[in-house]
Amino acid sequence: MALIELRDVTKSYRRDAIEIPVLDRVTITVPEGDFLGLMGPSGSGKSTLLNLLAGIDRPTRGSIRVCDTEISGLTERALAAWRARHVGFIFQLYNLIPVLTAFENVELPLLLTNLSKSQRRDHVMTALGIVGLSDRSQHYPRQLSGGQEQRVAIARAVVTDPTLLLADEPTGDLDAKSAAEVLTLLQRLNQEFKKTIVMVTHDPHAADRATHVLHLEKGTLVERHEAIDVEQMPARNLEVGRTS
Amino acid sequence: MKYIGLVLKSARRSRRRTALTVLSVAIAVFLFASLQAVLDGFDAVALASSSQRVITIRSTSMIFNMPLSHADVIKATPGVQEITWANWFGGIYKDPKNFFGNMGVDPESFLRMYPEIILPPEQKSAFLEDRTGAIVGDGLAKKYEWKLGDRIVLKPGIPYYGTQDYPFTIRGIYRSTSSAVDNQSFYFHWKYLDERSLQKGQVGWIVSRAADPDRATQLSDEIDQKFANSPYETKTSTEKAFTAQFANMLGNLNVLLGVVALAVVITTLFVAGNTMAMAVRERTTEIAVMRTLGYPAATIFSLVVGEGLVVAVIGGAIGAIAARLIINGEYLGMAGGFIPAFGVDNRNVVIGLGLSALIGVGAALLPALAASRLKVVDALRRVA
Repeated sequence: MALIELRDVTKSYRRDAIEIPVLDRVTITVPEGDFLGLMGPSGSGKSTLLNLLAGIDRPTRGSIRVCDTEISGLTERALAAWRARHVGFIFQLYNLIPVLTAFENVELPLLLTNLSKSQRRDHVMTALGIVGLSDRSQHYPRQLSGGQEQRVAIARAVVTDPTLLLADEPTGDLDAKSAAEVLTLLQRLNQEFKKTIVMVTHDPHAADRATHVLHLEKGTLVERHEAIDVEQMPARNLEVGRTS
Repeated sequence: MKYIGLVLKSARRSRRRTALTVLSVAIAVFLFASLQAVLDGFDAVALASSSQRVITIRSTSMIFNMPLSHADVIKATPGVQEITWANWFGGIYKDPKNFFGNMGVDPESFLRMYPEIILPPEQKSAFLEDRTGAIVGDGLAKKYEWKLGDRIVLKPGIPYYGTQDYPFTIRGIYRSTSSAVDNQSFYFHWKYLDERSLQKGQVGWIVSRAADPDRATQLSDEIDQKFANSPYETKTSTEKAFTAQFANMLGNLNVLLGVVALAVVITTLFVAGNTMAMAVRERTTEIAVMRTLGYPAATIFSLVVGEGLVVAVIGGAIGAIAARLIINGEYLGMAGGFIPAFGVDNRNVVIGLGLSALIGVGAALLPALAASRLKVVDALRRVA
């Protein structure tokens, strides 16, 4: 069953009178439970594609259907509610709130729910347990290493049990050891907790952990045969391509 | 309520900046509550003033005296039930900064004219019998820790009362049942003053009680007519009008104090607004992250306004409570004679808190709007 369906998605930005194309008629179908790696050079449109999937940006044209919802037509308010329910986002620079403890950072998305304080506490401790940081719950971000901060950010992303995890260069700011830990954690979330993950990365080692890899160049999807040959994977129901 | 922790943590992000904002709001509310208290003091006196009592002073100014013979003429005016008179002594107790109203009065008629002055019978008798005796308000007695029988020496503050000290004995400590009479004054025998005055038989003002309160204004005109074209023309008005005139002598207090209070509040609003704008600007990425996590624009707006509100109300509470504790006529010695006793009451505290809430919301409004309208992608790109 497809969790993500992009149809002819085009995105361009306008800078003064100039229109800058970023994505050009991209069509992708990602099945539920997949771990998709998005690769490509800087400016290829990877992060823009991720932002569109997260509903924090809107396509210029085309249709984006995620979790059975056509998100390109939602209002800002409805999009926010949809994001809170369905999307967990992991940033390259962790983006934890420095004045909040690890516990409070992870609790942040839960404040939008109707859970009681004790239920929120249980959820937060479970999420911190998954990333192996239960004992660091009262630490502030400045008291954690980069790898630990990113694991707290992952706990924040999964605490609401979202359908889709989106990761934008999650290992881009980490040393090799911490990067490996974070990637192992993402793999575990995919395999053990059946989370669908879309990860943008420059790093081929990171991409190796994905079950599929798509390449973007100048805003269009290109076929490569590096980590995974898309043509050889019909069983995963992945459609990749550029409509013409 | 679940967001209150988040709001408080955000407010504590830059402790020094938050502390300075709290302090600026506290000072604004302190000044506002204090100035309001002064205005309330004058209003309270005007409200409590008797509609039966009319006060006669010299038409030129109340600082000039008139002959005591005016009292006899006024007493003979139809419609006048009773009269009394007094002089402003302007005596200095040890140091000029120890200001309080001290007046020579005709004791018996004065106490009859002002039934608001409550004095135990034995103290009243002692005062009436002692030519150098004085009665003091309980507020004044408390301030200087005076007791019955204490010897108090005042230096004359006005040249025609001579240069020698005036010793007094405290024979009574009165309390007042009305704002028309404050509890910060010092009254003594007019005769004692007159005996040593370089200008004998002079009085500063004469108070008359009208038999019919409805005719008080007409009676005032009749009294003034009697002295028209004389060397000592008079100006008579009801006690209420007299109080208002006295306030006007100090300038248009309502407007003056109102403008000062408004200027302070507006300045604070700008200071707090600038602080909130800086706080939001520094937090652009965090706000974008929260939006990405699913926080609606309205919630972001409320969080920023809530932060402004919390900071301002804390400042307001500090300012209002400080004003309540510090601004008290009794302790400051600002009241006495014609200056009403004033203090910051609970109403002033509530108004001060309300004002601080307005400052908080007003200061946070534009930054909150900017935060709620933030373009998430642009804000995240700025950092990435």
